[in-house]
Amino acid sequence: MEYCAGCHGTDGKGGDKAASLAMTLSVMTRSDSELEQIVREGTMEGMPPFSQIGDANIHAIVGYLHAMEGSSASASAGAVVVTGDVHAGRSLYFGKARCAACHRINGDGGFIASDLTAFSQTHTADGILQAITKPDNPVAGTSRVATLTTIHGTRLTGVLRYEDDFSLALQTEDGRYHLLSKNELTAVAYSGHSLMPRDYADQLSSRELNDLVSFLIVAGRSSGIDSTPPH
Amino acid sequence: MPDAAPQSAPSPAGPLESPGLIDVKQGDLLQSPVSDNWVSYNGDYTGRRYSALAQITPQNVGRLSARWVFHPRTVSPLEVTPVVVAGVMFVTSANDAYAIDASTGKLLWHHARPLTHGLVDDAAVHHNRGIAVLGTRVYMETDNAHLLCLDARSGGLIWDVPYAHGNRNYGATSAPLIVKDTVLVGTSGGDDGVRGFLAAYDAQTGREKWRFWTIPAPGEKGSDSWPMDMYLHGGGTTWMPGTYDPSLNTLYWGTGNPSPDYDGSMRPGDDLYTSCLLALDPDTGTLKWYFQFTPHNLYDYDAVETPVLVDANFRGKVRKLIVTANRNGFLYVLDRVTGQFLVAKQFAQQQTWAKSIDANGRPVPSGLVPDEKGVEICPAEGGATNWYSPSYDPRTHRFYFRSLDACAVFQSKTEPFQEGRNWYATGARATGEGGQGYINAFDLDTLTFAWRNAQIGPYKGWGGLMSTATGLVAYGDDAENFVILDGHTGKPLWHFGVGQMIHASPMSYAIGGKQYFAIAAGSDIFAFALP
Ligand code: HEC
Repeated sequence: MEYCAGCHGTDGKGGDKAASLAMTLSVMTRSDSELEQIVREGTMEGMPPFSQIGDANIHAIVGYLHAMEGSSASASAGAVVVTGDVHAGRSLYFGKARCAACHRINGDGGFIASDLTAFSQTHTADGILQAITKPDNPVAGTSRVATLTTIHGTRLTGVLRYEDDFSLALQTEDGRYHLLSKNELTAVAYSGHSLMPRDYADQLSSRELNDLVSFLIVAGRSSGIDSTPPH
Repeated sequence: MPDAAPQSAPSPAGPLESPGLIDVKQGDLLQSPVSDNWVSYNGDYTGRRYSALAQITPQNVGRLSARWVFHPRTVSPLEVTPVVVAGVMFVTSANDAYAIDASTGKLLWHHARPLTHGLVDDAAVHHNRGIAVLGTRVYMETDNAHLLCLDARSGGLIWDVPYAHGNRNYGATSAPLIVKDTVLVGTSGGDDGVRGFLAAYDAQTGREKWRFWTIPAPGEKGSDSWPMDMYLHGGGTTWMPGTYDPSLNTLYWGTGNPSPDYDGSMRPGDDLYTSCLLALDPDTGTLKWYFQFTPHNLYDYDAVETPVLVDANFRGKVRKLIVTANRNGFLYVLDRVTGQFLVAKQFAQQQTWAKSIDANGRPVPSGLVPDEKGVEICPAEGGATNWYSPSYDPRTHRFYFRSLDACAVFQSKTEPFQEGRNWYATGARATGEGGQGYINAFDLDTLTFAWRNAQIGPYKGWGGLMSTATGLVAYGDDAENFVILDGHTGKPLWHFGVGQMIHASPMSYAIGGKQYFAIAAGSDIFAFALP
């Protein structure tokens, strides 16, 4: 504690110089060896290396981080029980399952689909699983995919952010908003779906899906808007 | 990828020429004057609020009409200046940010964030003046002084950094300013006993680069004004965006009044660096020079009014100048290389706190000091002008600004600082009808007023100004109208009743060759264009 409190606060919940450790996703979803490496070698972001305190101390510090995580996680756990491997879920999210290509979570990921940080705060584990395996039920008004044909014959496919009788905004995968008047279009064809892949139930094993759900639950817990006055 | 992978037609070269694609380069922020895009609170770094757009002219402005209205969630009158990039408009209301289609006013995304409870003063009414943009990200301050970095393409939160600590009276109301790869933020709370600062954050990582405290710590230059722990409560906040000169690599930032406002007994001396213009190195936060408008300020005369960068012939020599109309009733011209004082002109017709301004720009006080019974002093505590924006037209050398001629009875009693409440150390109340507003055109060539339009209407206006290359000046008047006048003569040419008080400054942008004006009025954003 004496080594860390200067920056991360005496309760691990953050200080003026560095982040909260107690509830941080990067702590909860990293393996012991990764965390030990961070303490030993420091980070590019400014965390200094602490190899000088010795491996035994480093090991003890990582144990303490998990103890804080346990106490804070159980305090806010509520009804949802985490049964999968959060760390494996995180790897899937940012790796093979490609969720991060579209969805941001705790600051990381894409922009074409919604931010999933807080999704688990309003959904049960089963609800999250359904959202992943049986998507588009129903398709949200701002997530509809459409293909436009312009009066010049150009075709554009993207996400319809709004549409009325006069104009629309179609966002393509490069992030660009095509802000068009209906006069410039000859056709608007709806795919009937969002961009969310519809085959995750086949592509991922039930264990992998459970790991992903667990990751989303923990990510939601570790987030939280600080809406208190400066202290 | 799924079957419906979106595709885009190949996009033309420059990002800002490519409609709908938000990717603002540092070079885009250097464009001056602004035209199609209005990329920051003041449009460009000069603070001139002068647009090169020329489609709307004195001849055709009569045909200007409302194109759309956008209504964000609001809790108090909007003070935001919209930012427009590649046809997408960004506005804020309290802690919410919105991206809208700037040609139709339709919502593209909304970043919703709850209000903070338990704040004091300005932060407690959740004013917010807008966003800053760099790359594919937008930045905003929250009421509780967090800097948010959002994805400009979705509104998704990338990071959230609390930047004011140790005093719950801090808050924030300004728009951040981006310089190079740095986001600059300030705070509110200057009437509430906080210690002012300007802080610089890495736009990529959100890591703090430097922090300039506007109240010196014990032992530093100026600290003799701040006995004991007074330096922790001295005010001097940075609640409006500054301006920036890339060729001099200098940032110009105004500071607010000292705390407590009306009681100077616990802050002897000049109270540096309150009521000042600071010239800072944007890379390090090092102070290059400062100029103090109102030393030992007892009247709430903040100096956060935009320090406008002007390159003009001044008394026979082309100089890099700063022109600023101060809340204390005087308009100042300074050399922005050295900070040298050049001239001050009194524009408030009723001004009693200073006998004169000496050759170095220092006021000679009249000796009027607020006391327990109350003393009438002019200008009133709201200032002879305020944060509502001025504008400078580089073609005509005219400096346009709104002013208010008013006096108030200032009362003062020593009170201790307390967290959770403001620290004016008593108050001021308007005398008479509450004053007379003016829209002014000050001619820098002759150092005289080209015209002054007395405002008529039931309200005291809080609407700022902008000007365009066709000589138009746009502003909100004292009768709930958005007005465009002829800058040459001062004659109002066109108006639109927005049905609510205007507490914000207008801007202009263009999409596909069509020029728009936009203004936040009351609880709505209005946009106007020719049919
Ligand atoms: C190609 C883009 C894409 C990928 C890849 C993708 N999603 Fe989605 N997802 C979407 C879209 C689009 C929606 C519809 C709602 C929206 O716009 O966010 C959605 C909806 C969801 C929802 C419901 C959100 C809500 O607010 O209703 C969840 C949960 C979800 N996805 C999780 C995942 C997970 C977990 C993965 C990885 C296994 C994943 N998604 C991969 C695009 C994607």
